Amino acid sequence: MRRLVRLALLPALVSGAAHAQQAGWGNVGQQPEETGFDWTRPLFDGFWMAWTPATLAVFAGIFAAMGVLTVLEIRRPGGAPRDGVLGLTTTRGDRLFLTLLGTAFIFLGWLFLFGQPVWGALALSIGWGVFCFWKV
Amino acid sequence: MNKTWNQKAWLLVLPVVLLVAFNALVPMMTVVNYSVQETFGNNTFFWSGLQWFEQILTSERFHAALGRQVLFTSIILLIEVPLGVAIALCMPKKGVWVPVCLVLMALPMLIPWNVVGSMWNIMALPDIGLLGYFLNEVVGWQFDYTQDPIDAWVTIIAMDVWHWTSLVVLLAYAGLVSIPDAYYQAAEIDGASRWAVFRHIQLPKMKSVLTIAILLRFIDSFNIYTEPFTLTGGGPGNATTLLSIDLVKIALGQFDLGPAGAMSLIYFAITLLVSWLFYTLMTRNDP
Repeated sequence: MRRLVRLALLPALVSGAAHAQQAGWGNVGQQPEETGFDWTRPLFDGFWMAWTPATLAVFAGIFAAMGVLTVLEIRRPGGAPRDGVLGLTTTRGDRLFLTLLGTAFIFLGWLFLFGQPVWGALALSIGWGVFCFWKV
Repeated sequence: MNKTWNQKAWLLVLPVVLLVAFNALVPMMTVVNYSVQETFGNNTFFWSGLQWFEQILTSERFHAALGRQVLFTSIILLIEVPLGVAIALCMPKKGVWVPVCLVLMALPMLIPWNVVGSMWNIMALPDIGLLGYFLNEVVGWQFDYTQDPIDAWVTIIAMDVWHWTSLVVLLAYAGLVSIPDAYYQAAEIDGASRWAVFRHIQLPKMKSVLTIAILLRFIDSFNIYTEPFTLTGGGPGNATTLLSIDLVKIALGQFDLGPAGAMSLIYFAITLLVSWLFYTLMTRNDP
């Protein structure tokens, strides 16, 4: 009778061991399988340029802005120069440059003074960009 | 007005665009990617956000290196620009001495940067170097740039002035010889003094080349690496560790690619801002 019970339990033990191996000690050191989109995970594993969706988006944004300026320049050549409040004659390209340079320093200044998070810096940068394209 | 549009020029610009893309844009984008991640090698990266920027911006070490860099560049500009203009004013405008002066002036700039560093390193050594021995034994100055921070600074500044004043001289000289004689004749008729001729004729006519000279000297001296590294290696202690030397120590010495990437971007932003300010202020009233 006991032998019969043991025999009956054998498949359950074997499958249990297999399951344990899969879920437990067989996976030590392995990263859990990641699913879904993450802005901060490497885009191409093992690639030396180390792209992430977040950094790619930053550059895509800058190149898109330059693309928009190119289209505008083709449609309305001359760069729309004007004398702004800073006493400078600026074109559309100058205003984008000032926006990006200013944004970099707003973020650096915020990190130096307050540290993370940088939501305040983001708000200030958007304000600075609006100011650049509106008044400078 | 009907203007003919010719877009062929874009094709001629294409090689430069490709070159810049590969030697500047791709490395720049890589640095941005490294600056927000951590790596232990093997091209495996972990996101770290803006942590490295915060760390660099608040580190005493970075502040000290930046301070030294600003001091170095300020001293270099304050010496080289007036000295270069003065030498250019003293150079002959006509005759056989013109090519001799030009070649003599161009010589320091033809020497590779690491050779300049090595030359000054050996020349300024207090025991066997000509300059160091002379200062110690003849002048009586206890000069030893390997031990004394002030002596090290004097040596790297002297080296840079020797190496790069020529650039300002040649640019200022090019501006001076382009001034037509009529201006000088008019000034003579008006009885203008030597200073008035310099202030109202020569200096305004040199303005555009001097703008370029100051910009080039600012960018070069702010990014200087090879010469002070070969001369002092950043020492004694950290006395002459300029920004670029510190950056290389972090990137290649400690292999901290993340902080080095963040520091590179901060360094780049400062260079870009100051260059833009210089250029904008100096060309603001131009027609």
